[in-house]
Amino acid sequence: MLKLFKHDIQPVNELTNAQSAVEVKDLNLWFGEKHVLKDITMRIPKNKVTALIGQSGCGKSTLINCFNRLNDLYDGCHYKGEVIIDGKDINSKKTNVSRLRAKVGMVFQRPNPFPMSIYENVCYGLKLQGVRVRRNLDDAVESALKQAALWDEVKDRLFEPAMTLSGGQQQRLVIARALSLKPEVLLLDEPTSALDPLTTLFIEELMDSLKKQCTIVIVTHNMQQAARVSDYTAFFHQGKLVEYADSDTLFTMPEKKQTEDYITGRYG
Amino acid sequence: MVKLRLSGLNAVQRQSLVISLSAFFTGLLLIALISVLVLITARGGAYFWPKPIYSVALTPISPPALATDQVLPKEVASKEAAPKETTPQVETLLANVFDDEAKSEIRLKYADALNPYGAQLLVERERIKRIDLAKNSAEIKLNDGRQVMAVPENVVTPEGANIPLAKLPQIMDSVALISAEITKLNKQFLAPIHESLSRFDNRDVAADAPAREKLVAQFNEYQQRVRSLETQRDQYKLAVSFADGQPFSIPIFTIQSVDFVSRLTGFEKWQVAIGEVFVFLTESPKQANTSGGVFPALFGTVLMVFMMTIIVTPFGVMAAIYLSEYAPNTALTTIIRVSVSNMAGVPSIVYGVFGLGFFVYTLGGSIDSLFFSDTLPAPTMGSPGLFWAALTMAILTLPVVIVATEEGLRRVPEGLKAGSYALGATKIETIVRTILPIASPGIMTGVILAIARAAGEVAPLMLVGAVKFAPALPIDGEFPFLHLDRQFMHLGVLIYDSAFHSQTDAKSASMMFAACLLLLVVVFVLNILAVLLRTRLRKRYLKG
Repeated sequence: MLKLFKHDIQPVNELTNAQSAVEVKDLNLWFGEKHVLKDITMRIPKNKVTALIGQSGCGKSTLINCFNRLNDLYDGCHYKGEVIIDGKDINSKKTNVSRLRAKVGMVFQRPNPFPMSIYENVCYGLKLQGVRVRRNLDDAVESALKQAALWDEVKDRLFEPAMTLSGGQQQRLVIARALSLKPEVLLLDEPTSALDPLTTLFIEELMDSLKKQCTIVIVTHNMQQAARVSDYTAFFHQGKLVEYADSDTLFTMPEKKQTEDYITGRYG
Repeated sequence: MVKLRLSGLNAVQRQSLVISLSAFFTGLLLIALISVLVLITARGGAYFWPKPIYSVALTPISPPALATDQVLPKEVASKEAAPKETTPQVETLLANVFDDEAKSEIRLKYADALNPYGAQLLVERERIKRIDLAKNSAEIKLNDGRQVMAVPENVVTPEGANIPLAKLPQIMDSVALISAEITKLNKQFLAPIHESLSRFDNRDVAADAPAREKLVAQFNEYQQRVRSLETQRDQYKLAVSFADGQPFSIPIFTIQSVDFVSRLTGFEKWQVAIGEVFVFLTESPKQANTSGGVFPALFGTVLMVFMMTIIVTPFGVMAAIYLSEYAPNTALTTIIRVSVSNMAGVPSIVYGVFGLGFFVYTLGGSIDSLFFSDTLPAPTMGSPGLFWAALTMAILTLPVVIVATEEGLRRVPEGLKAGSYALGATKIETIVRTILPIASPGIMTGVILAIARAAGEVAPLMLVGAVKFAPALPIDGEFPFLHLDRQFMHLGVLIYDSAFHSQTDAKSASMMFAACLLLLVVVFVLNILAVLLRTRLRKRYLKG
């Protein structure tokens, strides 16, 4: 019945290249000896919210770290397979990692504003990209803060330290910081797990409005949240992609027994 | 762990016992610290406080009294017919009294005709008949750092007239004018003429060449004028007398100040003390570091510490960044890290020897043979000097800075680093823009420790450039303004010197305490500056 109202949702296996923002092909990843991601193949649809769910340690966060190659920071991490963004395999040696990370924004579980002013925080990425003109910076900061629905709260105190903001505001600031670079993909790694319910709601609404501009991938432990905000949901278990479908299907008629057990809370 | 088995005590009692014991030892520590501070402050402060002069009446001594300490500098002794080691044969003395209640003897610093510039005497209590404040006597400080305790009588002019004491300030002013005139003549005329004469001599101009003869005549004329002025100046004298009525006369131009210390009111005492502090801070040492001021040592200490800080901070920070951010996590890195921490424990004299052997002789010697070969064998950089001292101290304090900086770097949250990388920052951008600012309070902690260590260190400095007396400051108006090759004076070295060579003289011993006090203040001020900076950085980068 619900499907009647959501015409634009396409089954995942019918996504074309043009419709997908990130394409993962046979991705395997190891931390030292530990095989963390096993043969992941999936397409993340453009301008949609895709939720990754699963137990802790099942590789969801590691997977999104593959989308901006943040795994490179960890010693002993090596991987095989392709991650295609904009038609190019980002795992190739030729990739400019800085440019990739500017294109694929990321928000972490804990708000991590830099110990600088609010303004400096938002233009950190822009300055790295070589934007020096004050006017351009001002405009970018304003629009990023407006997108993150933080502008009205901080417009009078842009030059105060970011640490004076509340937790929820800090998380939105971090989102604004990521948005200032106008990313094509926004990766959210459990963005609301450290926040109160009201702020969580606020950020969920934010995601809904943001998906017009960019593709959103969210890792979450909160099943209700996944069902609420996402268009597609992927369920992972022990490094394997168990089931991937549009959220309505996955949460109402899961194909696999494992998925059903997990979403109904029978294990995990 | 040792198990405390105290029978009959329950858990609460045992706990309170442990608490009391730790409180007790903390208290002991505090007492030790406070007593150091109080001792240094009291003894150091006493140096500046004017000491009243007493007339002390003694019973005559039949067997010679206990050994006196002759403190007359050598050149004085030879000039003035070497006063013998004698005890005064008089019954009254003008003296500063140093009375230690606990001892059976009283220490006097007295002056009489034989020892006009002061000597010391230990007197048994029972020999002292009476002690009166000598209201008429004054402490006459001389320009060369010596002082005379005597009763000023009158002023003698070149004409032989006796002028009352009240006119002394005017006379001193007019003598100062004559002195200024002499200095001017010397500087403006005699020195240039002498210089051109020596230039002639260098070019082998005949001794009877007209130009040279003309110069010689001019030279003689000016010298004549200077001589006559000097004679005039020398004839202004202050006639004084000692307790036994023996007269003594002091040329007025050698007098720096005349203080009737026994007449001073409380406020005037403060004035004199503050004047003494000013002299102490701004003047050069006199009489082999036993009086005068310590300005060159203060200046040398602060300059050396600043140079050391400028050298050690970038080196230490960069080494720490490499160790903590770039070095692979291997056994070699661990060995390097352990060695760095252990280097902090190497005795400082070893660094001094290293500085002398490597920096001064090897590096300095090579620099000399490469760039200053025309002045060899006289060394330019190949001898101990300011730069090598600063460099040696930098090596000595490097481990402290590295360890503290690494600690600061380790405290930067991983989330912030990841956040920076996720915005497209490269490693070096992340370090410069995020990690270093956040670690800056940690870096400052290291720098504070380094400053405290460097300012107090003496042993290595004596090998690589600090001296008891340096004729010139390392900074002056001559190109290149900062003379890195010059030797310098250092407060610590001055204290060391005074402690070993002047123990017997009360005045210079307390000058040592005053120098200690100053060194404490210097270290304290440098630390306060660094702590303020650290607090600012912390406020800015940690608390948000």
